Amino acid sequence: MKTLFTLVFILLSHTIFAAEQAEKIFAQLTPSLYQIKLIDKASGEKSSIGSGFQISADGIIATNYHVISSYARHPEKYRIEYLDYQGKSAQVDLVSVDVINDLALVKRQVDHDMPYFILSDKKPIKGEQLFALGNPHDLGMIVVPGTYNGLKKESFNERIHFTGSINSGMSGGPVVNKAEKVVGINVATSGNQIGFLVPHEKLVTLFTDYKNNPPTDIKQQMSAQLMANQNKLMSALLNNTWQSKELAGKAMIPIIDVPFIRCWGDSNADKKDALILAAIANCSLDENTYLSSHFFTGSVEIEFRYMQAKNLSDNKFYHLYQRQISRAGAGNRAGKDDVTEYQCHHDIITPASTAGSSQEIKNKSIFCTRAYKEFPGLFDVLYLGASIDKNQQALVSHFTLAGVSKKNALAFTGKFMEAVSWK
Amino acid sequence: MEVIKDTEHGCTATEPMTSNDLPSEQGEIIIEEITRNHKLLHRHRLKQSEISIGRGYHNDIILTDPHICPQHLSLSFSQGAWRLNDNNSVNGTVLEGSKSSNKDDHQQVINDGDVIVLGKSQLRILFSDHQVEDTIAFSPFESLIDFIRHPIAVFISIALFILIAGNISYLNQPTETNISQLFVSAFSMSLLFALWPAGVALVSHLTKHDPRILAQLGISFSFFILLWLSDLLEEIIAFNASSNSLLGLISTLVPIGLAFSLFWLNSYIGFHVSAKRRIVVALSITALLFGGTYLLQYSKKPEFNPHPQYNATIMAPRYLMAPSNNVETFLKQSDVLFEQANKAAQQD
Repeated sequence: MKTLFTLVFILLSHTIFAAEQAEKIFAQLTPSLYQIKLIDKASGEKSSIGSGFQISADGIIATNYHVISSYARHPEKYRIEYLDYQGKSAQVDLVSVDVINDLALVKRQVDHDMPYFILSDKKPIKGEQLFALGNPHDLGMIVVPGTYNGLKKESFNERIHFTGSINSGMSGGPVVNKAEKVVGINVATSGNQIGFLVPHEKLVTLFTDYKNNPPTDIKQQMSAQLMANQNKLMSALLNNTWQSKELAGKAMIPIIDVPFIRCWGDSNADKKDALILAAIANCSLDENTYLSSHFFTGSVEIEFRYMQAKNLSDNKFYHLYQRQISRAGAGNRAGKDDVTEYQCHHDIITPASTAGSSQEIKNKSIFCTRAYKEFPGLFDVLYLGASIDKNQQALVSHFTLAGVSKKNALAFTGKFMEAVSWK
Repeated sequence: MEVIKDTEHGCTATEPMTSNDLPSEQGEIIIEEITRNHKLLHRHRLKQSEISIGRGYHNDIILTDPHICPQHLSLSFSQGAWRLNDNNSVNGTVLEGSKSSNKDDHQQVINDGDVIVLGKSQLRILFSDHQVEDTIAFSPFESLIDFIRHPIAVFISIALFILIAGNISYLNQPTETNISQLFVSAFSMSLLFALWPAGVALVSHLTKHDPRILAQLGISFSFFILLWLSDLLEEIIAFNASSNSLLGLISTLVPIGLAFSLFWLNSYIGFHVSAKRRIVVALSITALLFGGTYLLQYSKKPEFNPHPQYNATIMAPRYLMAPSNNVETFLKQSDVLFEQANKAAQQD
């Protein structure tokens, strides 16, 4: 009984302590917190909102790229404004972005030096209590306590896993430790107390780069970041081992051995009335890069499908098989202003790696690509290989890559095509 | 063209006929009652020097058109020529195609081939020495048509059509099917396709031609089968040829040629028209069919298509005839696509 009391007391005192601390943190940091609004010039009304926080005495405010993405892509249509704790509003300028880590820096006019958030110089430890600040759903500034749970597993671009409620509108708000130093930036949520933060190092890098060499053109800066990121991603994909794995005991498919590509499987073995037995393996990169609400890039999707006819004539099997491959689509969302239409070609291909052996496969190979209109040198590509050498069996190998250079796309396509075969 | 008309005199006036002096000369004349499209209704051969035409029953040629007067006009032969004489009719008489220089209000010389328009009716005047067109020899199609319109041939072509239609619906069913279902759908398909030859036969019947329904059925179904075969051919070519092959383009022309031939034969069987007109009609229907289909597809095409358009035709290995390429050549060809995409991006 005594132990129980002690436990209850400890728990109580802990929450009271946390609440007190949250209050104190909030009071001290409020003057450097802002709501960031995107105002549509024509209507004069706000089109999106987020949070931001000042990180220098001379008025540099950090926020998320996705909060101001509309301005970054169409500066003629919008303007960015801040709203401070006293209810004052003024226009700010966009000075630098990091599209890959979803960060942006805007600058406000200041008359004198102002208080600002200090960026932490060390990482938090697992279980450490953190406080997320922001303005959810335009309800006013709030503080949310939560726990640091390390970096998100299997991510290509690092994100902090934060256990605590992050809601829309808090995007771009800072997350501080008890010492009131910034350790992350609110960026996304998976609901149910699972939030994701951009680690503070990314902001430190962006801020230092800005101070040393401020970018002259935001679009060029974005273009260079996308190009560098796809190079990093594609070289990770191309240089790691491609494990050859069996699919349904009949085909050999490549599984790229990197933690950020995750694979899932499915089959219709339970459906007795299906005319075709199908086993599917698909692997994809869980994250992508947000460019605007209708334009995403940086995604990777790979899919393999083994099919076997059950009591079907060859003609009918191939007829149904053709339907399976006739509607492949892009892996990322993009619109008319972002990309061109796809250009495609097809041919009958036997990869040299297994030609002449018992594993030899003959594919009808289809390759399509479309170019990015604002980011020259970047393409979305789609490949579809359909085996055409067995009467009652088929293997579909398919992938899409978004926002890659021609060189990387061709290198990946070549390696992929050679890696697929019969068992 | 000249209007011979006098409205002051009503045609009801029973003016005694000004008969010619003497039936000393006898002319021979052929009068054809024709429709406005110059289709023959009746033909009269008359051997007399005075011919009366009108609605009254005493006339030599009695017309029922209510716009014609009881004694509308008369034709008279004298001095080796036929003359037209309008009896002050209400709606007048027009002589078309007349080369006559006689500007007499009531009398005009008629030439061979002239058309008289009275009321809403038309008469064509021909003389016995009228030049007729050359005899048309049977074309080689005639023996083909004779073969195809044989009931057994018609039956076989329809049966073959049903078989093909059944096979196609079998291939397209994603679930298991039974024979009777397939037969019903194939049979209704053949009924639907039979509407075309039936329609052509009906039109030729309505336009006073021989319907020749069996010949139309036989020809149409044979061509439907040929069109399906051309589809199969097109599919095999699309499967085998790579995307930059010309064969694919050529194979799309085959069904157009077949459709044109079908329409040409339909019109050959059903209608007696000049060769030039037949080609024009067949060409227009073909253009309407394929142009219409193209327009329909074009109008449905979105301004921007986010989905790739590629040819996914695959067939069982036994249809594969083309040799396969290696990955390097494929990548080299892909290289060109990037250039095209870049160009498209710069255009906007």
